[in-house]
Amino acid sequence: MKTLSSLEHQLIATAAIPPAFRWSKALCGLVLTVLWLLPFSFVLLAMFKSTEEYAASAPLSLPSGLSPLLDNVRMAWEQGDMAQSMLNSTLYASIGASLSVLLAAMAAYPLARLRFPRRNVWFLLLFAGTVFPFQMYLIPLFFGFQWADLLDTHLGMCLLYTALCIPFPVLVLRNYMQNLSLEIDQAARLDGASELTVFRRIILPNLRGPMSAVFLLQFTWIWNDMLFSSVLGNRPGTRSIMNALLVFQGSYAQSGPNIMLTAAVLASLPTLLLFVLLRRHFMQGLRV
Amino acid sequence: MDPLMHNNQQLLNRIGLQHIQAAEQARQRQQFLLALPFMAPALLLVGGLLLLPVLYNIWLSVTHWQLFAGKDDFAGWQNYIQLWSNPYFDDALANTAIWVAASVVFPLLLGLALAMLFRQMPGQEWFKSLIFLPRILAPTALGVMWYYVYAPEGMLNQLLGMLSGTAVQIAWLFEDSLITPAIILAFVWQSCGLVMVLLLLGLAALPRDPLEAARLDGAHPWQVFYHITLPLLSPTILMVVILSVLAGFTVFDLLWVMGSSYPQQRTLSLAVFMYFEAFQKNSWSFAAATAMVIGGVVFAVSCLQTMLQARVDRMVR
Repeated sequence: MKTLSSLEHQLIATAAIPPAFRWSKALCGLVLTVLWLLPFSFVLLAMFKSTEEYAASAPLSLPSGLSPLLDNVRMAWEQGDMAQSMLNSTLYASIGASLSVLLAAMAAYPLARLRFPRRNVWFLLLFAGTVFPFQMYLIPLFFGFQWADLLDTHLGMCLLYTALCIPFPVLVLRNYMQNLSLEIDQAARLDGASELTVFRRIILPNLRGPMSAVFLLQFTWIWNDMLFSSVLGNRPGTRSIMNALLVFQGSYAQSGPNIMLTAAVLASLPTLLLFVLLRRHFMQGLRV
Repeated sequence: MDPLMHNNQQLLNRIGLQHIQAAEQARQRQQFLLALPFMAPALLLVGGLLLLPVLYNIWLSVTHWQLFAGKDDFAGWQNYIQLWSNPYFDDALANTAIWVAASVVFPLLLGLALAMLFRQMPGQEWFKSLIFLPRILAPTALGVMWYYVYAPEGMLNQLLGMLSGTAVQIAWLFEDSLITPAIILAFVWQSCGLVMVLLLLGLAALPRDPLEAARLDGAHPWQVFYHITLPLLSPTILMVVILSVLAGFTVFDLLWVMGSSYPQQRTLSLAVFMYFEAFQKNSWSFAAATAMVIGGVVFAVSCLQTMLQARVDRMVR
């Protein structure tokens, strides 16, 4: 039987749906999307209002001028102590995500490409990290960090985030490596290449796609995390950005909603930019 | 014994099965020694910072423990019994049940509707990304935003006022009957995007033939959806349901940011209860027992998923 070409497929698909129906569907989607983004709109407006103006005007009214923006940003930045926490989160997210993805790729290599007894047990041991809810780690980690003098240190937070972000990439990268052909590394081994060379020269270059996808997911997760920072790094010097935002909101008595909302936008800006620029990679990460 | 097997055995003996087996074992041992350095750093980190704490948490939940006295006597089930008779724990349990139900039903229905709407639509990439956007942002930052949406002078009241023609001044987050639905709405708004994207991926992977055959035979779109699309999509739906159950069961950030003082009956989930008991009241063993309850349910749900997934996969294929 002759298979249908993609054009014929399209013809069948479009013939079944009348154009009026398609347009109403598109309109419906547009309305829904606008409704979905409505909460953001008042935040954008609030960023351009001074505290008095915000209190006096309705949330969805246009601001009288654009000038309060700079003041809001400066006040949020200073009162929210955002410079230090921004730096902390950048450190945690970049070190945690890149180290965890690298270590996960290393661990996934023998799990996918070498044969040794009880391979699945070793895999499950690493993968078990995704089975438990975060609540089970909190108290023991708090005591453990206290005992090891890691509480409220950058080192402790980096180690923790790296460990938390290893299990999921191990799963993804192992699955991906299993689908690469075994012949290339066998050929390389016959030529006398060591396992490290095989991994570095042959496997890693093939993993660029999935590795960048999981890197993005882990980076945003660490950036957005508030829970672990509020338990294990709750000092001004080690606070993550989201924890700093929470602390700032707890003391919002002195600063108005316009400043709080500006602070929330500033804190979300990095992940927002990553998403806008690398949308395709994010979606790739969900495919796995 | 199978005669063929017997012959094989003899043949293998003649060529030296023992040698081959020994060589294979040595080879595997050598491969393991090669593998170990690759896995060691990941194993150390995961073992030391995730698995060891879980074991310690189990031990902690069956002891009496005071931070400064440093006592750790074995207490058996006492923490769990105490948990059961704690009125706040009952509230937390009831609220968590509501959260699980809401976080399964609403995102699934809405996500499915959105997925069906955006499928085969011109410009769907844009719509998809915009609906997905809240998922990328931190619950903490979104909680701050929704806090002001729900304020008495906030955006929601302004919109309601515009629609009804009279001024509306409801303090959404300070009314006992409104706070849970209000926070659930924010949660659904944030989680719908992921559900929709996962369902769209599932829809894109469906075989085209049954759908087209039904359409050419003149089936009504609803019939196609109900009798063909939905059953074929069931593996994806199962995955989404399990993910939503786990997300609803461990919800913390939004409640912590938008809820006010604790312990407050309305916004107490199991995760919030555990955090409060541990880090504000310092009743560590008690909180460890709560964490065990959360962990037990999450573990059970994960096991259930593995079982169901195998069954559903078999059903579809």
